[in-house]
Amino acid sequence: MTIPTAATAAGEGAAAVTGASRQPRGPRPAASRSRNRAPWLLMSPAMLVMAILTAIPIILLVLISFTNTDQRTLFTGAYDSVGLANYTDIFTDPEFWKSLVRTIVFTAALVGGSVAIGMLLSNLMTRLGTVMRYVLTIAMIFAWAMPNVASSQVWNWLFQPGYGVVNWLLTQLHVFGDMTQTSWANNTWLGFTSIWLLVIWQAVPFIALTLYAAQSQIDPAFYEAARLDGASEWRIYRSITLPFLAPTLTLITILSIIWDFNIFNQIWLLTQGGPDDTTATLGIWTYKTAFVSFEIGVGSAIAVVTTILLMIFTGFYIRRLVRTGEDL
Amino acid sequence: MKKTRTLAIGAFTAVAALSLAACSSSGSGGDDKTGGASDQKTIGTVDGSGKTLTVWAMSGDYTDETLKAINDKFKADTGADVKVETQQWADIGTKLTTALATTTPPDVIDIGNTQVSTYAATGGLADLSKYKDALQQGGTWLGSLVDPSTVDGKLYAVPSFAGNRAVIYNKKTWADAGVTEAPTTYADLKSDLDKIKAKNTASDFSAFYLPGQYWYAGLSWTFDTGSKIATQQDGKWAADFSDKGVKGLDEYKAFQNAYSSKASQTLNSGGENNPDQTQLFADGKTATIIGALWDPASIVKAAGKKLTLDDLGTFALPSPSGDGMAYNFGGGEVWGVAQKSQNQDLALAWLKVATSEDIQLKLAAQPWIPNTNELAAQAATNAAPINSGFFAGASKTFSTPNATKWATVEANKVMENLFSSVASGSKSSADAAKTADDAINSTLNG
Amino acid sequence: MINTAFKPRSEILTTTPKFLPSSATFHNFYVAFTQANFLTNLKNSVIVVGATLIIAIALAFFASAAVSRFRFRGRRTILVVIIAVQMLPGGALLIPQFLAFNQMGLLGTYIGLILAYVAAVLPFSIWVMRGFFIALPKELEEAAAVDGAGIWTTLWRILFPLVAPGVIATSVFAFIFAWNEYLTAYVFMKTQSMYTLPVWLASFNVPNQPTDYGAQMAASVLFSLPVVIFFMIIQRRLVTGMSAGAVKG
Repeated sequence: MTIPTAATAAGEGAAAVTGASRQPRGPRPAASRSRNRAPWLLMSPAMLVMAILTAIPIILLVLISFTNTDQRTLFTGAYDSVGLANYTDIFTDPEFWKSLVRTIVFTAALVGGSVAIGMLLSNLMTRLGTVMRYVLTIAMIFAWAMPNVASSQVWNWLFQPGYGVVNWLLTQLHVFGDMTQTSWANNTWLGFTSIWLLVIWQAVPFIALTLYAAQSQIDPAFYEAARLDGASEWRIYRSITLPFLAPTLTLITILSIIWDFNIFNQIWLLTQGGPDDTTATLGIWTYKTAFVSFEIGVGSAIAVVTTILLMIFTGFYIRRLVRTGEDL
Repeated sequence: MKKTRTLAIGAFTAVAALSLAACSSSGSGGDDKTGGASDQKTIGTVDGSGKTLTVWAMSGDYTDETLKAINDKFKADTGADVKVETQQWADIGTKLTTALATTTPPDVIDIGNTQVSTYAATGGLADLSKYKDALQQGGTWLGSLVDPSTVDGKLYAVPSFAGNRAVIYNKKTWADAGVTEAPTTYADLKSDLDKIKAKNTASDFSAFYLPGQYWYAGLSWTFDTGSKIATQQDGKWAADFSDKGVKGLDEYKAFQNAYSSKASQTLNSGGENNPDQTQLFADGKTATIIGALWDPASIVKAAGKKLTLDDLGTFALPSPSGDGMAYNFGGGEVWGVAQKSQNQDLALAWLKVATSEDIQLKLAAQPWIPNTNELAAQAATNAAPINSGFFAGASKTFSTPNATKWATVEANKVMENLFSSVASGSKSSADAAKTADDAINSTLNG
Repeated sequence: MINTAFKPRSEILTTTPKFLPSSATFHNFYVAFTQANFLTNLKNSVIVVGATLIIAIALAFFASAAVSRFRFRGRRTILVVIIAVQMLPGGALLIPQFLAFNQMGLLGTYIGLILAYVAAVLPFSIWVMRGFFIALPKELEEAAAVDGAGIWTTLWRILFPLVAPGVIATSVFAFIFAWNEYLTAYVFMKTQSMYTLPVWLASFNVPNQPTDYGAQMAASVLFSLPVVIFFMIIQRRLVTGMSAGAVKG
């Protein structure tokens, strides 16, 4: 159960900014007995829910990853322990390494693209009038809230050979020749491009709204002073806006890395990993193993490996968190 | 710190023990292993008053009237009530797998003929071999339904109806090119298409739209030369495109390249990012397609007021290599009984009603192809003219191999790649056949 | 999407795109509205999503207060675990969770689905709210303690209003997640009358029948509308709340 791509943390961004703009504050030292018990009392309902509904399934997942669990196991209860075999199978499968590389490259492209476009849009929003900003916000919310069947339908409308609006527009441009019959899903690069566009389209609202919220917290006095000094707009953005946005940006980048690394829906919807598995990422591989072949043991092992890989990739962030235990 | 860690480990082992116990205790029932298929049993009368049978039907398969007719007769026979739950297609594999794992699964499930092997060999479905004669009710089940339902010689599902494929053509366009009668031989078909091609010269017009990824259609050419996709010998699957399919692939390529647009070589007949072939037909971009039973209605709907059912005709694809009809893809639905069902007797009584002649003829009117050759032939004589091509071809259908992992072959798009790489010429027929064979063998035997 | 919902079937796919329907039709909405189970499944969605929101936010509020306003043993471990949980790939927990819920007899009930959603959104919600708590100065509690306020009073009277924007941000996230979730709802619920709206939406996609694209789009519009309305209601409060929080903090 992972959180879908576009998830909101609009508030978190703002909080990170406000938090960063002043000294970090340590939690108060324990003062009394009731204060010692208080955090546990406060934590216990959430911990109880997570222990039963998340921790037990996770432990089960790890245990299953050492077995040959499949449909037969679910139906009859029979399974064998296979030790580390699932893991060695994964690491010796060339498909794993290929899809790992694809996943890393694709995650980089997605995170870079969505964060850059999100920054651009949030910057644009600070310069728009109220009405235009409202229109833009609602458009973004629609893109974000749109159910999968609808977005795939819209994408069909845009990219279908013969009928696609994008194909039609590109043909009208007369730059690439007749594109009306081009099939996006059947070419690795065009396939990746359309997936990239779909992911970006659904991820940008969250990023742009969060950054906008953060950006609107910056004291206008800074800008006025800079303009009086005759600084260029780009310079102002670089030396005033960016430092303010830095904590929010870090946070968004980390979240985007986590979500984009596990991306599945959009790829499955558009290319299902094709042509010839050239757009198959780790997420696609996990899904096919666990929910098409129902090799649940192997699928669980892949999920464990993916999680560990992600923890390594985001290790610097987690290490900082553990060391300071505080901000971010 | 040390204290917490030991505690955590203690908790871990406790939970682990608990969950392992949960794992192993979930298996139950299923000791009533059946003997050989020879000792056939009858389905006697069951007193089910006060009981409720749960039936899962897939969305779009059965009309409310058909289901009501079955349930009413069943209630009269047994006194038991029926609860029908309509299920959606998205993620149905996961839904069925999890539901069959519980101790209170649905009693009767409606599944695709190609899905049976996934649940049969793994213990999800009950072995119905003993009741084959009783359920067949004197007829001979369609091969495309009963073959995939039979795994390792045992019957795990009961044929319900088939939905096969036939050629759908636009009578007006054909008549404009001087062709007024449906062809009965492959040579006639090609000469007719040549005339249509000569008459319609637009670059995106296809005399016969045959998209390269549309493997349900492409397989008609490989089955024609004897390929069966893959067959099982001594527990091992062997794909046979290289052996028996290459000639068929060559003819497929020649036909596809001659009569279908260039863009179609790498497309499928519909679905994500593919133009819907019924829409192309409705828009006049093609005069002929290989379609399914529900496609004539789709075309008319897509065309607005431009086409009516009377403007369309259907015929069974003639065999490319010889006389008669080519094999056509027979999809279809079958009924399975959950291994863990508490009401297997009632489930069988219900299936006996569902496979009875009355109900089968109701299905024929939906329209679907009834489950036996005899009833299919009978229904063919009464079929609406637009469906005649489908009913005619119902006796010569094929299906996919009943291997447990076949779904993985489909998910990996092996078949799409085979036919589109042949159609587009990116691989020779022999190379493409070898690639497909390797992929199929490694998946099915893996 | 909105566009297509109003188009007659014949205009949906054309070689030269039409950006606006030439004859608007409400027929698609009528079809969508009268599709089986709309109202039942809408009711289920409202119950499940509503309860998920309330429970998840209450639990996340207390938990995030604990990890941000107090220092205690195991706090860092809890934080790391909360992040790690989010890194599991989608669907990885579906089967283990199904097995666990099956043992607990929670399948096919509202409470089961609600708990599954709460578990899914909780880590992220704690994370988000924690950010808001950290931004608040500790002097707030000190002042309250001087005035003789207990922990509960301090939490409820003083801290809750200040982290309100965090509560709102979390609820937006939880709402969109729970409203759109399909697979768990489909797998955990056993009968048609217990399915939620995403399952209803899937009923427009039937592979062996002609697809009514217009009705499907109209259904998608009906489906997305509550999310947009929810967002619009709290959108203003989200931004104003955030600035207010920032000024006071």
